[in-house]
Amino acid sequence: VRIPSYDDLTPSIPDVSAGDVFASTRRLLPAPGPVAGGGAPDEDGPAGTALFACLRSTRLPSAILDVARDFSPRVQRHAADAVVLDVSGLGRLLGSPVRIGAELFKALSSQLSAVSRQLADSCQPTADSSGRVSIAPTQIATLLLTLGEAPLTVVTGNVAAALASLPLRILQQFMAEVHGVTVLRKLSRPAAAAALARSPWPAWPACEQAFDVLQRWGLTTLGEFAALPAADLSARMGQSGVALQQLARGRDPRPLVPDPDVPRFVERMELEWPIDALEPLSFVLARLLDPLAGALERADRAAAAIRLDLRLVDRSSHARVLQLPVALRDARVLRTLLRLDLESHPPSAAIDVVTIEIDPAPGRVIQYSLLERAMPSAETLAALTARLGALLGEGRCGTPALLDTHRPDAFEMHRFDAPAPDPRARSRGEAAPASGSEITPCIRRFRPPVAVRVRIERGRPLYVAVDRRGMPGGHVVQAAGPWRSSGAWWQHDEPWDRDEWDVELSEGSVCRLFRDRRAGGWFLDGVLD
Amino acid sequence: MRAHLESLLRARKLDVTLATAEPWQRRSADDLAATGLAVLDEALGGGLRRGHLSEIVGTRSSGRTTAVCHTLASAASRGEAVALIDTFDRFDPASAAAAGLDLSKLLWVRERGDAVRALKAMMLVLQAGGFGVVAFDLTDVRPPALRAFPFTTWLRLARMIEGSETVALLVAAERLARSPGGASLLLESPPEAARARWTGASSRSRLLRGVTLRPRAVHGGR
Repeated sequence: VRIPSYDDLTPSIPDVSAGDVFASTRRLLPAPGPVAGGGAPDEDGPAGTALFACLRSTRLPSAILDVARDFSPRVQRHAADAVVLDVSGLGRLLGSPVRIGAELFKALSSQLSAVSRQLADSCQPTADSSGRVSIAPTQIATLLLTLGEAPLTVVTGNVAAALASLPLRILQQFMAEVHGVTVLRKLSRPAAAAALARSPWPAWPACEQAFDVLQRWGLTTLGEFAALPAADLSARMGQSGVALQQLARGRDPRPLVPDPDVPRFVERMELEWPIDALEPLSFVLARLLDPLAGALERADRAAAAIRLDLRLVDRSSHARVLQLPVALRDARVLRTLLRLDLESHPPSAAIDVVTIEIDPAPGRVIQYSLLERAMPSAETLAALTARLGALLGEGRCGTPALLDTHRPDAFEMHRFDAPAPDPRARSRGEAAPASGSEITPCIRRFRPPVAVRVRIERGRPLYVAVDRRGMPGGHVVQAAGPWRSSGAWWQHDEPWDRDEWDVELSEGSVCRLFRDRRAGGWFLDGVLD
Repeated sequence: MRAHLESLLRARKLDVTLATAEPWQRRSADDLAATGLAVLDEALGGGLRRGHLSEIVGTRSSGRTTAVCHTLASAASRGEAVALIDTFDRFDPASAAAAGLDLSKLLWVRERGDAVRALKAMMLVLQAGGFGVVAFDLTDVRPPALRAFPFTTWLRLARMIEGSETVALLVAAERLARSPGGASLLLESPPEAARARWTGASSRSRLLRGVTLRPRAVHGGR
């Protein structure tokens, strides 16, 4: 949560005379303590020039943010399906709050209809295009009003009176939305605790308890709850009850904290003539990627992923997403990666429209050192890996990682990253620990193992015959074994059970044989070389 | 006169095409990449020369793969990135790790037997640069397929790493090529000599102890 700066608060501060300073300050920073007075709210709410709007759409939450940003740069997302925006200055442009509300509702409806049509065209389940808009002098009032039934609500005067008729379950629903479990479960436990500690809202357990008490008291509307004496409420429910009552009266717990505007890095080109080859497409990609790389550099961002969307002449779409190993913004490297990916996954028809969107990530800060040895750069490695993948196929290059199992030849391939500088690495001229002339040999494995015929005498291999040309075979001069290993017998897919032999053949080869105890055959596992 | 000209060329770092190699004792340790095996380093005069194409040649079970794994392991222990172009996908990560190779520093390129594609991969890796040792395993490629490569192929490989700090290493059953400053490490042994060392008197207690390396290095001009 970003602490609002003075510039953030300035548009919300109305033009007031000296005598109104105290009242305005109270409106922006409501008193945390209980409201003194009798049963009715002590003021009519923070009516004035501050004006907020709330957009809510349950089924298409992504559309409301775009509409909100079209009307105001000061937008705060409150829940997955609701945003609040500051529309204080829109009166001079659009007119009265009713007119602003109408424009907002019209824009939201058209946006939701467009998205629904797109979803219907792409054969996805059609979403409900209903949306709700409310305008009020406080954020909490707009949020509560959009949870009601009316699609458009405009309140310009007494906020508490406007909220009084709403059922109490609306406030309960709002608090449940604020403490949405789907949001908190994504956070780790310390992060969730920190988020709740920073939250201006009462804790959910206290809210649940308070709503149970209110239900037992027979209260049904926000107006009845707001009319309770604050001091007595504090004595019975504590500060959480008082905070809930402030919300029921339509008072904001904190000013609007606009979300930072995340720029989108998108370039699109509609081609006059369809492109059906990758070579001319490479020039189009360069035309799109050059300005994108410049924009990324100006924003001190780099590409974490590239989303390429090609609209084809047969009205279908060919979409590719490249997750980059490191954040890159070199246009040439990005173009090479896209081109190589398209060579491996070419579109099915000629291309009409090319759209590239980049998922930004913070730019990398690299400090080169004269004391560290030169390594392949991340850009070079990304391009090299893509080229090797295009040449040999996916998964044919990388770094092997041994698996924690006794299964022979058990490893998996990982992406190769440039080694980090290791201060423990020996200096360049320093020799490695010397070994004698007699060393443990490495094995050259046959994948898959080669089937062989083995003559057995008294349980030991005597002769090895191979049908394939170029494979070792002959009389066994020396043999050591058997070394039995088995595993995964509790699984049905790939159990192994075998007896291994190290044999030296008359032709001079030293091989590793094994007998598959499940299948009963002999196999040449590899050559010790 | 010839020695004077060669020394002038070496002083200006224009000696890569000289047929007569500089005496290995004069090389600084920075110019050489130690293999990590004393018997090989002794034969090579300290290690494989950087910026040059060398080769390891030997018959089956002569220790070629072991020598390559130790060379890669030694380079990785110095913090260098290493690469292995494996033409027949025969590299065994477990035994290489047992030889001391830090697998996280290894780029393993696995080809299914096409030597031409493996050669293209080798060129891509060398063009990328920045690797300490790049080994090209052509051990099981049949000689006719190897002889189908034009001789300029190896010249191009040598030219690609010229002046760099990379050691390009060919591993094959017969001699292929090396650059003028590179070395040919021959791991052949007489047929009557035993390569494998066994322990245990009886057949039941026998154990493979290791293989014996008998290297012979051939440098430029020797």
